[in-house]
Amino acid sequence: MKKPSNTLPQAPVDDRPPEVLADLEFGKLTSKEYLYVAKHPENEPYIKSIEDEPPLFIYISTYLSYLILIIIGHIRDFFGKIFKPQEYSHLVEQNGYAPWYDGFESFYERRMKNRIDDCFARPIYGAPGRFIHCFDRKKVGKSEYEYPGTTSECLNLSSYNYLGFGQSKGVCTTHALKSIDDYGTSGCSPRAGAGTTDLHLDCEALIADFVGQEDAILISQGYGTNGFVFPSIADPKTLVISDELNHASIRFGIRVSGAQVKVCKHNDMKDLEKVIRNAIAQGQPKTHRPWNKIIIAVEGLYSMEGNLCDLREVVRLKEKYKCYLFLDEAHSIGAIGPNGRGVCDYFGIDPKKIDILMGTLTKSFGATGGYISGSKEIMKRIRLSYATNSYGESVPPAVLAQIISSMKVIKGDINPGEGLERLQRIAFNSRYLRLGLKRLGFIVYGADDSPVIPLLLFLPAKMPAVSRMLYDMGIAIVITAYPATPIVSGRVRLCVSSALTKEDLDDTLRKFNEIGDLVFLKFSSGRAGGSKVKGKPPRWSIEDVLAHNVEDCKKPNLGEMP
Amino acid sequence: MSESEYIFTTTKTTTAIATTTLPPTLDSITSTLSDTFVHYLNYLGKLPGGDYLLWYIKASYKDDPIRSLFELMLFIFGVRYFLMSKRKENKSELVKFSQREIDELIDDWNPTELVEPVNDTEDWQLKSIPQIEGPNGPKVKLMNLTKGENVLNFAINDFLNLSRNETIRHKAKDIISTTGVGACSAPNFYGTQEVHVRLEEDISSFMHTDNSIIYGQDFITSTSVLPAFVKRGDLCVVDSGVNLAIQKALVVSRCDISWYNHNDMNHLESVLKELKPGLDKQKQIQRRFIVTEGIFDNTGELVNLPELVKLKNQYKYRVFLDETNSIGVLGDFGRGVTEHFGIDNKEIEIIVGSMAKSFGSSGGFCTGTKQMIHHQRLSSLAYVFSASLPPYSAKVTSTAIEEILHQKNGKSIIVSQLQHLISYTFKNLLTHLKSSPFIEIVNDSSSPTIHLALKNEYRESIGLPQYYGNVEFVRTGKRAKFNNELDEHYLLENFILQKIIDEVLKSKNILLTRSKALLEHENLPIRRPRLLVLVNIGLTENDVDSLITGFNDIINDICTSIKTPNDLTTLRNEMINY
Ligand SMILES: Cc1ncc(COP(=O)(O)O)c(C=O)c1O
Repeated sequence: MKKPSNTLPQAPVDDRPPEVLADLEFGKLTSKEYLYVAKHPENEPYIKSIEDEPPLFIYISTYLSYLILIIIGHIRDFFGKIFKPQEYSHLVEQNGYAPWYDGFESFYERRMKNRIDDCFARPIYGAPGRFIHCFDRKKVGKSEYEYPGTTSECLNLSSYNYLGFGQSKGVCTTHALKSIDDYGTSGCSPRAGAGTTDLHLDCEALIADFVGQEDAILISQGYGTNGFVFPSIADPKTLVISDELNHASIRFGIRVSGAQVKVCKHNDMKDLEKVIRNAIAQGQPKTHRPWNKIIIAVEGLYSMEGNLCDLREVVRLKEKYKCYLFLDEAHSIGAIGPNGRGVCDYFGIDPKKIDILMGTLTKSFGATGGYISGSKEIMKRIRLSYATNSYGESVPPAVLAQIISSMKVIKGDINPGEGLERLQRIAFNSRYLRLGLKRLGFIVYGADDSPVIPLLLFLPAKMPAVSRMLYDMGIAIVITAYPATPIVSGRVRLCVSSALTKEDLDDTLRKFNEIGDLVFLKFSSGRAGGSKVKGKPPRWSIEDVLAHNVEDCKKPNLGEMP
Repeated sequence: MSESEYIFTTTKTTTAIATTTLPPTLDSITSTLSDTFVHYLNYLGKLPGGDYLLWYIKASYKDDPIRSLFELMLFIFGVRYFLMSKRKENKSELVKFSQREIDELIDDWNPTELVEPVNDTEDWQLKSIPQIEGPNGPKVKLMNLTKGENVLNFAINDFLNLSRNETIRHKAKDIISTTGVGACSAPNFYGTQEVHVRLEEDISSFMHTDNSIIYGQDFITSTSVLPAFVKRGDLCVVDSGVNLAIQKALVVSRCDISWYNHNDMNHLESVLKELKPGLDKQKQIQRRFIVTEGIFDNTGELVNLPELVKLKNQYKYRVFLDETNSIGVLGDFGRGVTEHFGIDNKEIEIIVGSMAKSFGSSGGFCTGTKQMIHHQRLSSLAYVFSASLPPYSAKVTSTAIEEILHQKNGKSIIVSQLQHLISYTFKNLLTHLKSSPFIEIVNDSSSPTIHLALKNEYRESIGLPQYYGNVEFVRTGKRAKFNNELDEHYLLENFILQKIIDEVLKSKNILLTRSKALLEHENLPIRRPRLLVLVNIGLTENDVDSLITGFNDIINDICTSIKTPNDLTTLRNEMINY
């Protein structure tokens, strides 16, 4: 038996009045000024977001830090295995069995991630809305935690709660609860078996209509959607050209399918064109026979970089070179575009020009699962040959109810006006926070209208420092590092939400300002915007930032300010 | 000497190094080499972190220029070695084209359609998928096929009828009204809710294991767990009847594969024996797994676990066991095959299972030792890169486990009820179909999914092949180069089963289903398509009786009309006009 302090305590009962709780999940809009409609201007070219670079010594000290971490790790491994063999027993052969994983494979995990383990997987309770409730804990020993029994209420800049549907009150919850009463708790069967109900059909029709395609297929997990859709569209005679920063699920799906892959540079249309041209010219490896087909796989909004893909150019290339386009809108659907219909909506492109639109319902819709959509004929074939449809579970009723109701809110079919407010709030919030951080002097990546704001830390030691300090100040953020990002560019990833108020963001800016000075994070050069005087690095005071941010963040192209 | 001249025109630092440290006693070759070397050093300073390197090199160069050169050569050799494998295959194969030629090739290129359109002979498969209006469960209302209310549903995986259980629904609603539906985050960020932690504890204590981890979808679980542990060079000895998720897991992991005949422990032993000498020679032991299922999804057979455990201990393999169909079904408390055979769960290293079947919830889980589970939290892709299971689903599973643990006489009440109904159905169907010349039961008596298949003699008489798909994977351990082609016989055989299903539905108001294995994706050969009778405790013995009465007549009616290979042509037309 574990000691009581080592197990997670029960979540406390929150007895504050319901209005207060509702406001903690979704903050009320404080002024009509704090709204914005995000759309790419009709005839303007795509603006590639600039990735600012820190001074050279930051790079050097980052490499040095890793070097030291690696050397010390190896020294500890070396002596540890000699002097404390029992602690390393899982890394060496044990009575004829190979270790579960060898020391080399797990080196990064043991020697780096493990040191900052407390910044990940903090257990929470309650809805992941505007505030998130975390159980406080203290690390004891190598991987154990002690729970003092207290909890912290943190402003939530971490969940993919873009439109603020991570709520336990409101119309979506009512629908979800009713669906449990009416339909039960489980999907009961694969879709192709006996798992198709009217709720599934309604939901699929709604999604197809929402994304502007003829038909859609719903799958119970976003990762699984990508994981098994590629075998249905790509075979070994197919070439998939995949952006180098594509999500793990896409890469996994391509591997399952057995298709050949070529990687193109991230969001680099010149490189994409070059890869396509060479691929068509060279044909398949060894035989040089022409490819049966070429599929370009890109994402709408990249979750680690905050970049929007250059959709117009991708569509142009795809049409010019007779390729097919697979677009993953996991992060962009709902969160991007004046009507929340994703990057097509944002760039004003007819979604029918994209052969396969994929997206997840985990993020903007506060549900879970993924969808694939496209023309009737294509969907018919995929529906027939989708492995998950035949072997995997179907989407459970409450999730369907959440998808249907949240989508209807966005469309304005339920509570007209609420959907638009949510869309315009996230657009405003994204620009507001991004510009504020830029002006304070932080290096942030990504497009102006992207709700994903990566804030670069570089040095590994700053990651836990920032995460822990912000946690103590009452802000929950996510830090990501290698292998999700290149090794030198460890970062904080902020996810903006409609649930946040402008005052929350002011608070966030103040706290970041404080921390930025404390751990030395303000090293932007101004290349990516934010400067007061052109050519000078931006180092606005927090008062100045807050005084001008509301009007300024609504001006076009934040990279070119003032 | 043009290179050395060039050096002295470069930046100051270099010149400084070159002039102050170049020892005049060295012979001319060395000096040329050193000069060249110094020249390239300049570029280093421009790289991030290069200054530091430069400093190091300067220092070492001062001590002994030859050593620096040697170090550099070593470095270049290292880099070259690292890049070599990639370079080899690429460069030599590429054909050089001018831009014009490329343009012409592009004009000539005629890609195929993204997907092949669904043709006439396939379309019925979509049309025959039942659509249910309102809740799914033991009795449903159908919107298509033969429309009707109160259709007895022998086609769902909710074996313990927990999806509409009052207590469970109540708990699910409690969670939704405090946390909402979605988790909105990945488990390693802020997606781990208290209920997830509780569920992991609950599964571990239910299964008597150290630790557990949960996944957002059942089908992805094996495909994600296995590749987290087996990599290139590792060995999996695999039952040749495993499900598609495991097949894909093996393909993705790129491990070495040896197959043994489906559930044949003698063959397994001989395979292990054969592999032993080779493995004994390994300097460093590679990971070895025996991969199998509890109740096989493809065949409904029960694994011979006691024998397998004996062999695995003798030959020192770990076991990967997929309990998707056996959890909540076998054993006194539904703990699966291990409990059924009285085997300690500690003997099985990796157990995975589904929560979307017996538990009336959704998602999948994996359970076992602490370090095995811990490793997945960073290395199992579908865990790291996907959002957590909805919190309410976690609560549903926890509550389902509580429901299962309600006991009488040392046995779970609902699990024994299920087992009783399974054996009742199995026994009576067996008796009923004993004399059938067309169809037979092909699985063990303990499976909640009863598999019926056309008899081999009958199949032969109408010209159906022994198996579908290809044997490449089983023969070589590498998957076939290309996906299986459409096979009309496969469709026809399935269509015969569908006709039985349709007739049962029409005349008895009972819904059955069939195996819907996708030939194009299956890497293993498919023996015979199955007609499936899925038992769940929302149904009664009376319901089973009403399925069985006259079942044989329906089958006889349909099968006697298809007696020769020629009849398949008529059947084909029927299929097209479905
Ligand atoms: C681009 C992309 N695709 C797919 C997924 C997987 O979605 P889910 O979390 O619903 O499994 C993600 C999630 O992080 C993603 O970013």
